[in-house]
Formats: sequence, structure tokens, C-alpha cells
Amino acid sequence: MNEPLLPPEAGLDLTRAILARTSGPACQRLHNLACAFVDGELDSAQGGLVRLHLASCPSCQSLVGALIETRNLLPALAQTNPGPWFTQRVMRATTRRPAPQNATDRRPLWWKLMHRPRIALEAAYLGAAAGLVGSYLPIPTPPVSLRVPAFVHPLGASAQRVKSQVVQAERRSTLALQQSLRPKAATSAEPRPTLWQRSSAWARARLRAFRSAPPPPAKGNEASPANP
Amino acid sequence: MELSQALPLVRRGDELAWEFFVRFFQGRVFGLAYHYTAQAEDARDLAQDVFVRIYQNLALVPDEPGCLPWIIRITRNACIDHLRRRKARPPLWDLPAEELFDLRATDQNPEEAHLAAVRKTMVHRALQELTDLNREIILLKEIQGLGLEEIAAILEVPLGTVKSRSNRARLELAQKLCAAGMGG
Ligand SMILES: [Zn+2]
Repeated sequence: MNEPLLPPEAGLDLTRAILARTSGPACQRLHNLACAFVDGELDSAQGGLVRLHLASCPSCQSLVGALIETRNLLPALAQTNPGPWFTQRVMRATTRRPAPQNATDRRPLWWKLMHRPRIALEAAYLGAAAGLVGSYLPIPTPPVSLRVPAFVHPLGASAQRVKSQVVQAERRSTLALQQSLRPKAATSAEPRPTLWQRSSAWARARLRAFRSAPPPPAKGNEASPANP
Repeated sequence: MELSQALPLVRRGDELAWEFFVRFFQGRVFGLAYHYTAQAEDARDLAQDVFVRIYQNLALVPDEPGCLPWIIRITRNACIDHLRRRKARPPLWDLPAEELFDLRATDQNPEEAHLAAVRKTMVHRALQELTDLNREIILLKEIQGLGLEEIAAILEVPLGTVKSRSNRARLELAQKLCAAGMGG
């Protein structure tokens, strides 16, 4: 091997001096090749030239060092831990919302109607309305013959006797009940009272007192309301 | 469980598959939002909004390999809207490195892990000094690992621009890091 004629420092200085008077420093050319060099995409000749320049250029050395470092570091930045509660936060924010449009709900209509928050209110309203309507209907009185069950007949004479006694007792009590109701129905000539129209003993007493009291003296044309 | 297996269930609205999906992508969505906003709390809110948007469009979640670019596009749009509303360049990072990067997740010893976290923070800061286009190309190509064509579609710039800018952006980042004392 040939011995260099100049010491290394002097050789570098000479190279720089020659480049300064000819092409200028080769650093810009290296910058153009640096990424391909780091990615291993250069052929051996170009790679060798880059290595030679790096051996004598500290600034290009640190640039290529930084490129190698970022090449290893950047993919690790793709994911950053958002904190321990993030998943729960997202689940709370999403699953409380209405189901997405594409997810078909196959539950029947009655089930969906039953599981609305208003169902209790609606049931209470319907119940109250039914009670009100029912109170206007007359109280049904079932026919007497229905009150003795048919299965008593096959039991023989003693059962027939008991049956006839029961029928008579029933008939008596029904007659008594009808007797107690008849005078009221006859005097008032009004339809049978409904549950709604039945007034308390106190209200009946007040009504009787009102009817028996003489009418108040009329003041001119003014019609005074009944106010006992 | 593979993502490709979970995606049909996610589209059907299965809650468990959705939870798996959120866990699978939350680090990426938050990481990307953090790169854009530079504020952890803003990034968390944005990441949550992104998942709510995805949940409202579950039927549109594409299969792999289109799933990640689709999510990144939604995240980027949410971040750009947020920055437009804020009408300011992102401030410098609001959290120390130790809080940002989970040290327990690495198998390094605490000293090495701290050093790695400091280096990551330096890279974050250097990224903020790049031009918007160069920063986004680094974010999408080098960090998220998207292809040049996917990046061109997301950024709505010609493919040639992304190709020519790609290495220039890397070089610019490396120069910033050299100036900050890294790489020597
Ligand atoms: Zn050089």
C-alpha cells in the first residue's frame, strides 16, 4: 500500500480547498442520497462513496445518525396510550346512543311498546278511564235460577230438599231486596242509580233538607243560586 | 381475535366486537389526534368524537386493509376541523414525556425508558417545526405506515407531490433533530 504523502488532517484540508475551487462541498449530494442510504436502497458503488464522505464530514454524520434514529423511532409513535379510562368513556358515549340504523331490531311491536318509559302512565290512565265508565253502568243482578249450581241435582231427594230450601231462601232475600229498592224507584221515577250517582248519607240528608225548605224570596230578576 | 374476524360483527352492532374495535384503534386515533392538537385533553375529546362518528356509521366500516386509512381519514378531518375552530397553530406539548409515553409498556429499564420517552418528545417537538404538508406526510407515512397512494388520497394532493416530498420531509426532520442535539 502506498503511504500518504501528507498527514490525514492536511489531506482533508487539501480536499476541502480543491472542492471549494471546483464543485463545492459534496454535502448537498449526500443529502439527496441520505434517505436511500439509510433505507439500504443504494447500489454498492454509491453506498461506498457515501461512506467515504461520512468518514470525513461530521455534519453529514450527525444528519445520517438522526435519520437512522427517526427511522427506528417514528413507527413507535403510531400509538399513544390515551389513559386508563378511555375505553370506558367511549363505550359510555356510544352504547347509550340509539342502535345504528343498519342493526335490525327483531323484537315484536308489543314488546317494544311495553318497554317504553310511558307504559306505566298509560296503563294508569286506561285503568282510571275504565273505572269511570264502569261506574256509570247499572249494577247487574244475576237471575235467581243461576245461583244454584246444577251439580246438586244428581245427589237425590235430600239434596233436592236442600236445593228447594236454598231456592226459597234466595227468593225471599231477593224479594226483600226488591222491596227495599222499589219505593225509591217508584217515587223518584228516575232510572236506577248508578255507582256514580249514589250519594252518601250526609249528602242525602242535605238534599232532603234543601227540598223541604221554602224557596228564597226573589230579588227582582236576579236568580239566586240555591245555597242553603 | 383478529380484526378481520371482528369487522363483520362490528358492522352488525355487536357490543363486544365494538369494544374490541375501540381497544384496537384507540391508541392510533389518540396518537394521531395528539400529533395534530398537541394537547392531551383535546386529543382525548377528539378521539372520543371520532369513535362516536364511526359508531354512527358502523355499516360503512370497510374491511381490511382499507379500515386503517378510513379511520385515519376520519381522525384527520376531525382534527383539521378542531384546529380551524381553534384558529391557531398548535401550542407546544402540554405534558412531560413521562406522562405521554407509558413507561410500563416497554421492557427497558427505567433509565432507558426515560431516555426513549425524552427522544420521542424531541421528535414530537421537531415535527411541530415542519411545514404542514411535510409534517402530515411524516405522520401518515413514517408514523402510521400508510402507502403513498393512500396518503395522496387523504391529503388530496398529487401522488408525485407526496413522492417528492416524502424524503425531503424526513431530511428536514432529521436536520431539526440535529439542531436539537440528537443524532450525533
Ligand atoms: Zn457532508
